[in-house]
Amino acid sequence: MRCLGLLLVALAFADVGGATAQDAAPPAPPASAERAPTAAGRASAAWLEQQTRTIASQLRCPVCQGLSLQDSPTELAQEMRDVIRTQLAEGRSPDQVKAYFVGRYGEWILLQPEPRSFNLMVYVLPLVMLVGGGAVVLFALRRWTRADGAATETAAVEDQSTVNS
Amino acid sequence: MTRIIGQTALVMALVLALAGAVAAVVGVRRRRPELVRSAQAAVWVNFALLSVANLAMVYALVTHDFSISYVAQVGSRSTPLLFTVISLWGALEGSILFWGWVLAAFTAVAVYRSRARLPDVLPYATATLLTIGAFFYLLLIGPADPFEPLWPVPADGPGPNPLLQNHILMAVHPPLLYLGYVGMAVPYAFAVGSLLSGRFDDVWIRATRRWTIVAWTFLTLAIVAGMWWSYEVLGWGGYWAWDPVENASFMPWLTATAFLHSVMVQERREMLRVWNLGLITATFVLTVLGTFLTRSGILSSVHAFTQGAIGYYFLVFIALVLVFSLVLVGGRSGELRSAGRIESMASRETAFLLNNLVLTAFTFTVLLGTLFPLVAEAVRGVKVSVGGPFFNRMTLPLCVTLLFLLGVGPALPWGRPSAALRRRFLVPLAGLLLAVAVAALRGAHQPYALLVFGFGAFAALSNMAEFAGAARARVRAHGEGPARALLRVIAAHRRRYGGYTAHLGVVALAVGIAASSSLRREREATLPAGGILEVAGYGLRLDRLWAEEEPQRFVIGSDVTLLEAGRERGRLEPRLNYYGGRSEPLTTPAVQSRATRDIYVTLMAFENDGSSATLKAVVEPLVAWIWVGGLMIALGAVIALWPGRRRTRRSVGVQRELPLQPAAAPRRRVAEGGAD
Repeated sequence: MRCLGLLLVALAFADVGGATAQDAAPPAPPASAERAPTAAGRASAAWLEQQTRTIASQLRCPVCQGLSLQDSPTELAQEMRDVIRTQLAEGRSPDQVKAYFVGRYGEWILLQPEPRSFNLMVYVLPLVMLVGGGAVVLFALRRWTRADGAATETAAVEDQSTVNS
Repeated sequence: MTRIIGQTALVMALVLALAGAVAAVVGVRRRRPELVRSAQAAVWVNFALLSVANLAMVYALVTHDFSISYVAQVGSRSTPLLFTVISLWGALEGSILFWGWVLAAFTAVAVYRSRARLPDVLPYATATLLTIGAFFYLLLIGPADPFEPLWPVPADGPGPNPLLQNHILMAVHPPLLYLGYVGMAVPYAFAVGSLLSGRFDDVWIRATRRWTIVAWTFLTLAIVAGMWWSYEVLGWGGYWAWDPVENASFMPWLTATAFLHSVMVQERREMLRVWNLGLITATFVLTVLGTFLTRSGILSSVHAFTQGAIGYYFLVFIALVLVFSLVLVGGRSGELRSAGRIESMASRETAFLLNNLVLTAFTFTVLLGTLFPLVAEAVRGVKVSVGGPFFNRMTLPLCVTLLFLLGVGPALPWGRPSAALRRRFLVPLAGLLLAVAVAALRGAHQPYALLVFGFGAFAALSNMAEFAGAARARVRAHGEGPARALLRVIAAHRRRYGGYTAHLGVVALAVGIAASSSLRREREATLPAGGILEVAGYGLRLDRLWAEEEPQRFVIGSDVTLLEAGRERGRLEPRLNYYGGRSEPLTTPAVQSRATRDIYVTLMAFENDGSSATLKAVVEPLVAWIWVGGLMIALGAVIALWPGRRRTRRSVGVQRELPLQPAAAPRRRVAEGGAD
């Protein structure tokens, strides 16, 4: 319990710096020199970096085990992140950049299957399961609570104070 | 010689396991206790045989007996002794051998502990465990023979997979996982035993529940140790990648967690029997499925070892277990049905039902996502990936719901809610609002992170209120000090407060994950020697690069000084480890861990002349609370399992003093503390 108190305190003082996670670090100096558009201000550099991150975290590192390009420490992933950045800087849209990688590596490169046709199954079935299961639980609860009626108020109070574990 | 000892032991184990299973069933059917006893003897001997086989393999590994192919596959003369020993589970055959030993050990302990208590159920349970054992011994004799000879005998081997010898946690994570996985076979065996013998009373439930907690505790620790390992070794600053095999270990954890909650409804209301048997079966099948996914190499993963015929053995085994269990439960479902009733919608029972609904949907989502690439390839002929973004998107709402239930459930009484119920939520609700406000002020603005912080605070306060309320009552009644009263309360109701302790651990873990992933700051840069990388108010000064030759690897390291507001705050040593013959190095990050944040530095690349290097630095708040949370969950389980009957009987005074449970106290004590 004291641990948890500490945790709450820790959360209050958690080290998150001044800014938020998204508009974090501008691009690393040596790399940015070659890829940032010359006239781009700091704001657009930050935007470019954020877009790159977003796209890189949705694409798979081809040589890793299930890591995204954003997370992968390998050289290949680094190069692919540079490709994303370059293409974005050239004015391509995020979807175009992703399409470029799908064209080269196949659908497999997307960490989240596109919600189209057959792939919809993987998105819809869990919902069906949840809603169906919820209906079953609700139905059962209705039936089980209706069967009740004999329990008196005192019994309930006693139940609560004595057997409440 | 070693080879012959090992193989002989395994063949004998297979024969004995099958004979023992038959003897147990025949013995209980024909009422011949000597046959049942002989089956128990087979259990002890099997444990001895598997111990011999495992020791033989360790001996072969330590003496570098490369005439055994497994040793030639994972051994090398330059590997340090510890990693040589633990390469027992470094590849397919050895891991199945170790698996078999853990199963034999679990079987022996379970049968020994229950031998006097469950005369009808135990023989069937023994037979079930021996049959599961026989399946693994069959693998060890057939497609996964660890003692297969090799000719010509090589002079040296490649050593274990570098990933497995780069960190000490590899000595911890696999054994814990096997204890968790294999342990789930015991509750399954008791479930089968009760179905076959037609006994569904309390004794069986108690044994099953306790064994599930044991296995679940190991599984929890294994998953958290795996997260920690991945954090310390893989160099990307994360701990969970929704890798198929991570998912495989997570699914049985989810169903076992569901069982641990819904079994309480069965104990109280004699409801949900079929459902609980289903959860136990699902948990066991998911552990076997997990082993199959890990070992068959059917899904690419960090953990996949090899491809081969072994996959078919697993598929057949899983199919048999499923059919057998369905027939068994189906055949008994008439007897298992009960006229249950629940008094109110706003009761603990409802909370448990919802908990089960969410956990089941969670399991299904993870299962579907994990297997979907296989389905898609079979149906469409196209490879797809189902990775982190998918799982986060689908499961985060479920995680938040669970956290909410975890806060509401403990405050809801069994039966009917009382009038005071609303007041119980005042403080937790205030905590919720405060936590969201503080988190938002400090820069968190991802909705899910805010929800986790809010409901986390809510759940933590709600669970703590349970401790505090009971302790306060004791203080008032007996004038004890608060700390002493708290300990007494916990000691008197181990199961309940063990559960709440585990809840607090879950909250710590969830908040740690939410904070470290949503408030994470990272930066990467190439620096000259003496250059400083700045991230989130910290500076990392690259002092120098160095190189060192070690027996089993070549190390490129960097000395990095951590600066905060111009002052030195410690040194970090991120490295690149090159293991023999492999050109791609293992990035070995350096971490400075504090209660509020971790600083995680990886050496990404370097100039050969040592003039500059690329560093990646990540600042992640509250990561350490993930590990603390995992330990708290385990602590809670230990409290719940702590045997208490004898001690509490001796100190009768404690029993009489119980302020909260005057009427039903003695009965509840036996049910709670004296289980199994």
